[in-house]
Amino acid sequence: MTKVLLSIHVLAAIIAIGPVSVAASMFPAFLRRGDTGALRVLYRICTVYAAIGVVVPVFGLATATSLGVLGDAWLLASIALTVLAAGLLGLAILPRQRSLLGSVSARAEARRLGMLTGLFNLLWAVVVVLMIVRPGSTTGA
Amino acid sequence: MAFRVLRVAAIVELVSLAVLLTNLATAHVAAVASLVGPIHGCAYLFVIGAALQLTRSRTTTALAAVPIVGGLLALRRIRR
Repeated sequence: MTKVLLSIHVLAAIIAIGPVSVAASMFPAFLRRGDTGALRVLYRICTVYAAIGVVVPVFGLATATSLGVLGDAWLLASIALTVLAAGLLGLAILPRQRSLLGSVSARAEARRLGMLTGLFNLLWAVVVVLMIVRPGSTTGA
Repeated sequence: MAFRVLRVAAIVELVSLAVLLTNLATAHVAAVASLVGPIHGCAYLFVIGAALQLTRSRTTTALAAVPIVGGLLALRRIRR
């Protein structure tokens, strides 16, 4: 059953977090160009797939419980970083995107949003590496 | 879109718990519990997310956060 849970967890991470990462990264570029139509689509991708993204931590916790690794340091660090990334997305990136939907060439905002999005992507990259390397675990690669 | 999500998630929230309890009372298959458990958890979170998307009302969101029947309560309140 662990394999089924882990498969759902990884599949959800690829399908849900991937689009958010890409669409959020493209948002500042289209903001500079003032392409409001594209901004709406990108914002929609970000919100819809961020909502689908709740599947990832739920099945992640289920997998961790099933494997008996819930108390491991690498996992607790990953959970903390995930909470940080989710907070960054939900409290900073998405509200900013929403408020900039109608703007034409907001250069300063585009730069700040680009920085936040880069930080978001970096956090996810660190979490993924932690999931693969699992420092301190005997089951790591 | 969010309304359809709320409707589906509300039903899944209730049915998945019924499956879990039935499983607990009868066969108690571990595989069923570990698969349906997270599904129930996801449905719970989807209900809250959909309710937040549909309305800014604090009461409706609080109702959606009620375990088991929160989705149905929020649906009833939004339909009215």
